[in-house]
Parts: sequence; C-alpha cells; structure tokens
Amino acid sequence: MTRGTLALLIVLAAHVGRAGGSGGDPPVTFNRDIAPIVFRSCTPCHRPGEAAPFSLLSHADVKRRAKQILDVTSRRFMPPWPPEPGYADFAGARRLSDEEIALLRRWVEAGAPEGAPGDLPQVPRFPEGWQLGEPDLVLETAQPYTVPAEGTDVFRNLVLPVPLRGARYVRALELRPGDKKVVHHANVLLDHTGYARRLDAREPGPGFAGMDVELESSRFEPDSHFLFWKPGTAAVTEPADMAWRLDEGTDLVLNLHLQPSGRPEVVRPVVGLYFTERAPTRFPMLLQLEHDGALDIPPGEKEFVVTDHYELPLDVEVLAVYPHAHYLGKDVRGWATLPDGTQRWLVWIRDWDLNWQAVYRYARPVFLPRGSTVHMRIAYDNSADNLRNPSQPPRRVIGGNRSSDEMGHLWIQVLPRQGDGRLVLQETFMRRRLEKYPGDFLAHANLAAALEARGAREEALEQYQRALRARPASATVLNNVGALHQSLGRLEEALKAYREAVRADPDYLNSHYNLGNALAATGAFAEAVPHFREVVRKRPDDGIARSNLGAALLATGQTAEAVVELRRVVAADPGSLNAHYNLARALAARGELREAVEHLEQALRIAPDDPDARHDLAALKARLANRNRSRP
Amino acid sequence: MALFVALTAVATPDEAPHTSLYLLDLAGRRVEPLQAVGAKVTVFVFARTDCPISNRYAPELQRLHRRFEPVGVRFWLVYPDPGEPSEAIRRHLREFGYGFHALRDPEHTLVRLTRATVTPEAAVFVGTGGEASLVYRGRIDDRYVDLGRSRAAPTTRDLEELLRALGEGRAVAPRTTAAVGCWIAPLE
Repeated sequence: MTRGTLALLIVLAAHVGRAGGSGGDPPVTFNRDIAPIVFRSCTPCHRPGEAAPFSLLSHADVKRRAKQILDVTSRRFMPPWPPEPGYADFAGARRLSDEEIALLRRWVEAGAPEGAPGDLPQVPRFPEGWQLGEPDLVLETAQPYTVPAEGTDVFRNLVLPVPLRGARYVRALELRPGDKKVVHHANVLLDHTGYARRLDAREPGPGFAGMDVELESSRFEPDSHFLFWKPGTAAVTEPADMAWRLDEGTDLVLNLHLQPSGRPEVVRPVVGLYFTERAPTRFPMLLQLEHDGALDIPPGEKEFVVTDHYELPLDVEVLAVYPHAHYLGKDVRGWATLPDGTQRWLVWIRDWDLNWQAVYRYARPVFLPRGSTVHMRIAYDNSADNLRNPSQPPRRVIGGNRSSDEMGHLWIQVLPRQGDGRLVLQETFMRRRLEKYPGDFLAHANLAAALEARGAREEALEQYQRALRARPASATVLNNVGALHQSLGRLEEALKAYREAVRADPDYLNSHYNLGNALAATGAFAEAVPHFREVVRKRPDDGIARSNLGAALLATGQTAEAVVELRRVVAADPGSLNAHYNLARALAARGELREAVEHLEQALRIAPDDPDARHDLAALKARLANRNRSRP
Repeated sequence: MALFVALTAVATPDEAPHTSLYLLDLAGRRVEPLQAVGAKVTVFVFARTDCPISNRYAPELQRLHRRFEPVGVRFWLVYPDPGEPSEAIRRHLREFGYGFHALRDPEHTLVRLTRATVTPEAAVFVGTGGEASLVYRGRIDDRYVDLGRSRAAPTTRDLEELLRALGEGRAVAPRTTAAVGCWIAPLE
C-alpha cells in the first residue's frame, strides 16, 4: 500500500445544502432544511417496526432529540456508514456531509424551529409487508430460533429447504428477518449439497452455530450475487439480464448475526423469492480475497496485517464489495492496481466495526481492465486497548468461524465485460489460491470443477485426485471422480469411486444414485436396488430415482414391487417416458396386459417414434388378440 | 467519546436537596420512594421502554435485585419520558420480566436531583427521607464505553461493587461515573 496516493484521491463530498452563503443567512428550519436530511438518512431505520429505537418522522420527534442527533451525527456514530468518504462512490451512501452537519448545528442553536408548512417535503412512506410485493415463493424456517436474553452476540445459521420442482431464475430475494431489533444483519447462502442440513442435524435446536459458513459445492457453481440484509436497506432487484439460478434440491442458509435484547426473543425469518422466466445473459461472480491461513495474531499485537491479491484475467466491472472481519479487525482496505500502474480505491474502512458490516454497491460500476490486480489489506488489533477484543486479557488468535476467532475477507462482485467469463475467473482464482495454500482441498476441488465444466476432463481428474490427497474421504469429490470416469467410459473405476463415496458418507444421496445407475449399467440390478431405495427413502419426491428403482426391480423379476414404484412415478409425473414404458413391461410380466397397453400408448404419445415402445406395443397387442381367441 | 463525557456534568451528590422526593407510580399516585420502610439503600435506574441499551441490562438488574433486595436494598425503575404512558411501561415490565416496581418522573424531579442524562443510569441513595444522601450516580458497569462501542463483557461492575460495599457496612465516598445509553430528552 503506498500512502502517497491517498491524498490525491480525496475528493470533496457532494453537498445538497440550501442554507445560503455568508452573511445574512436565512434561518435554518426543519421543514426546509433538516427534514430532507432526516428523511433520507435517518427515517429508513428510525420509524415504527424498524431496527432503531425511536421514530424520526416529524418535527416534534426530531426536536425532542435535537441535541442528541447533533452529538451522534457530529461524532459520525449516526447514520452508520463506515466507508471513508472519497475512496469509492457507493449507492445509497448514508453518510452526512460536513455541510449537512453544520446545518444541523445551526438549526439546533437556533432552537430547532419548524418553519413554514409549505416547505415540508413528503414524509416518506414505506410499504407494509413485502417491499417488492407478493413473492412467488415464501420460505420459512421449520422451527423458530430463540435468542437468549443476555450474553454475547449470537451467530446462527438456519437452513431453509426450497420446495422447488425444477430450476427457477430468481430476480430478487427479500428477507424479512423477524424482529429487527434482534437481527443485526444476515447473509443468505446457497447450499447444493445438503451439507448445511447435516451440520444442522448435528446440533440441538434449530440451525447451527458459526459466524461464517464454508459450503462445499459438488459442481462448478460459483457464488454470483450478494444476498445480504441489514436494517433499513431496500431489497435488491437484480438487473433483468442478471437473475440467478435456483436449482431443485437447493437449501438456503441464513447466516444471522443476532443481538440479545434483554429478554428471550423468538426469531423466525421469512424469505420471499421473486422469479423471472428470463435466463441470465450476464454472469457476475464473487471473488473472495482472503488469507485466513496467515492469521496467527499474538496477544498484545496492535498492528497485525494480512494481505491478498489477485490478477484479473479479463476485463471486468466491479459492482459491489463486502468486507468482513471479526472483532479484532481495525483497518480494512481494498484497491486495484491497473496495468498502467494507477491505483483505484475499492473501499477503505478506517475503524472496522463488525456490527455495521455491509455490502457496498458502487454508484457506477468500477471498470478494471485485464491485467489489473485487486488487493486487500486488513490490519488487526489484538491488544487490551481494543475494547471489542472478546478475550481480556488477549490471547493468541487464529483464523476460524467462531466470534473469538478472526477472519479477513474482501468479497468483490465482478461482472466480466465479454460473455460468461466465470470459468476463466474461477480457474485463475483457484490457481492463485493454491499459491497461498499448496495442496488445499477446496482449491483443487474447485479448480477441478472449473476444468470439468470447460471440458478438460483428464486435467479435472488430476485435480480431483489432488483434492483427495488432502481429504481422502470427501464424498462429493469421490462422487465427481466416479462421474468423470463414467463419462470417459471407465466403468470399473467409476464403480470403485462411487463405492468409496458411499462408504465415506452414507448420507450423501448423489453417490447412491450414481452407484445405482453404474451398477445397473453393468447389469448388476440386484445390487443397484438398495442404492435407489436409499435415495427415494430420503427424497420421496425424486421421480427419476424412483423410476430407476422400478426399472431395477423389474430387471430382477420383482415385478409386484416394480409396479408399485412405477405407478407412483407416473402419478406424480405423467410425462415420464421411461416410467410408462417400464410400468408397461412390469404389468405385462404380471399378465395385466390391458393396462400395460394403456401405458405404452401414453409412452408413444410422449415419444411417438420410440422404437422400444412401438415394438412392445405390437407384441402386447398380438398377445392380447391371442388370449381373446383362446378364451372365447 | 470526549464530547460525550464532557456533556455528562459531574454531580455534587452530597449537596442534593431531597427532603421530599415525590414521583408517580403507574396508577398516577404520588409516592415518596425514599420513605420506604425497611430500606437502607435505594437504587433508582432510569429506563425507557424502547432503549436497546437499558433493555439489554434487564437480566443484570434482575440479578442485582434478587441478590440485594433481601439485605435491605430497594430497587426502582424510573421512566423519565412523560410521553411513555403507564400502560406501555406495564407491558415493558412484563415483557422483560422485571420483578420490581416502576415509577414515572414526568417532571424530571429525580432527573434534576441526580443529574442523570441517559438510560440506563443508576442513582443510589443511602438512608431514608430527609436523611437520605446520594452516594452514586452513573453506569451499571463498564460494558458500554460509548454508543456503538461495547466490550464482550464488563471489566468493572460499578453498581454491584457499590452495593456489596454498602452491604458489608463499608464507608463509601460519593461518586459519579459516565453512563452510556439513550439520552433523556429535556422537557419542552
């Protein structure tokens, strides 16, 4: 970090004051001068039902607290807006300008006059209930979580299963956290693997503890959007061409920061999802600068610095940043060095406060050409002078997700200028991660997924193998290795990998399903049956697994059971060609020829040219005709 | 930080005139809390129904109440905002499980007497009636250092230490500390 550039980049804060110039200043009034400031910067939280303790909606409200308002705004405690002014231009900045604070001071000193009624701007109106209107899908936690009356802040993760059939595109997510005086902020994460559910099951009560959640993904599916809530912020609707995909079987994980209020508080957040038919054509991606592995802060250390950097392989626009550290974080900086050597600030927070962490979206996207390097620098204070230090006396602190551990992240949302650049970003980003953490499981696994997604299957396999050296019992990676082998036609290796995956984590259903299919492909239907059974036992709505179960039962001659399973499939999904076809065969095997014919006819309505169905139908009709002749 | 401390005037506790301190109970009746029979020590804690900092102290105050009431310490919550009706205060007491009584100070008699500036802020009197003297005014503990700046746990429990000293019959010198919380808005 070169300090010389800082002074150059300071720009004067924009100011909207209308309070006249020097000499003969008109009196400052609430209606004309103060209300616009209060309505813009205070009222979003200081109103009934919101997070802040009292309302600031009228002259009387504001006048009663005028001195306090002047005090807390002068000291920059309110409105909370940690980014240093002049170091990046953020949308929705709540910070007051020096001129606005001077105006407040003159108003208070003049006795806080109300002014002419005609000067009062429209008192802001906030919609009741959902800000974005009725959602397409509302998700609620199965059980509420109770925050204890006292103690330190609580960091809890609640899992919300998404009851979706098929994938949808999401244009907006609105979180209604419940009691806003208790929920301090929230992040929403997507879990494709059921990992969070398993963490949930291991702990008593709803959800599981932890300030941060690291989720595994079984395929190339990088985080793309900030799904973040803090008090007083409007719900974000994504640009029309930038919706995000929500797949069937995904869980939302609410990562909540909760503050005890003095009485036990029941928290039951509700999430509203707003869908769109329009598939995205622009694909942002979240890059996480971090070096938590370098966090090892001796007690008493007042300036422990962690840095990270990453060189962009293509032109991007930076849309937003989300800095994150725990209680020892002190000074957080993000910036970019362009290929020509110039520097561009992304964010600077001089006095980091976990309680006011937030996603900051740029007023205008920040363009960074290919070859620019983004940087993060976070300084920590682990001395007793840092009164937020959770350990008094201070102790050695390393990286971790408990609030007494530390972290240091700068998440950057970038949008490649040309097409879908996520694979290139992910591949280079994971190679950079391997520089920091040689042999790292996540880096190898994510690199492999990126390579696999762009068709480099042998290279992907090599990276998966390296991931397994770090974590030999990773069911997701073993499963992916199996799938890769299978796609390369190596069925024996695939079976071996799937078997290891099932052994490593018997609850990981994707491996059961894949193992079942691979066994069926080798003709080992009897062995396949229990694996399909395990999938449908835990995912009763999984029609494909049930259809395959039916087919495997049929192949092993268990026709009665096959009929039961396949009937359920066609009842739930009348458009399933395979289920109709296999059901027909099972029925035929049991001599129920008429119903078998019906299902073959339905199969042919779905796929009129299906040769197997045509062949079987002809054969069945012949059998039926035969039977009718023999039984006059 | 510095500004905040400066705004909290240092009281001169032993000069405070308090021969007859009248406050209102939640039924609107005048009561003289310093005349309570059997109380050797009286603790007032200023509160608001909607102040997050004073609310966060509810469990701590209840603990102090349970511990010190049996040895002759009388606890009162005092709501200084004339705009907070008795009904809201009753609901507040119920919701936060306070096991002791509340008074209203709509004229700021006790606010002026003790020079309290925020909620929560404690004022401790020793003795009854005209003999009562203010021995402490200030924070409950040092958990909050400023608005938005708090420790994970307090390092000094001022109110508890004072009550323990009084309970053990030790002499205490009158003292004030700066409390952090929601401002008590001055009367119109």
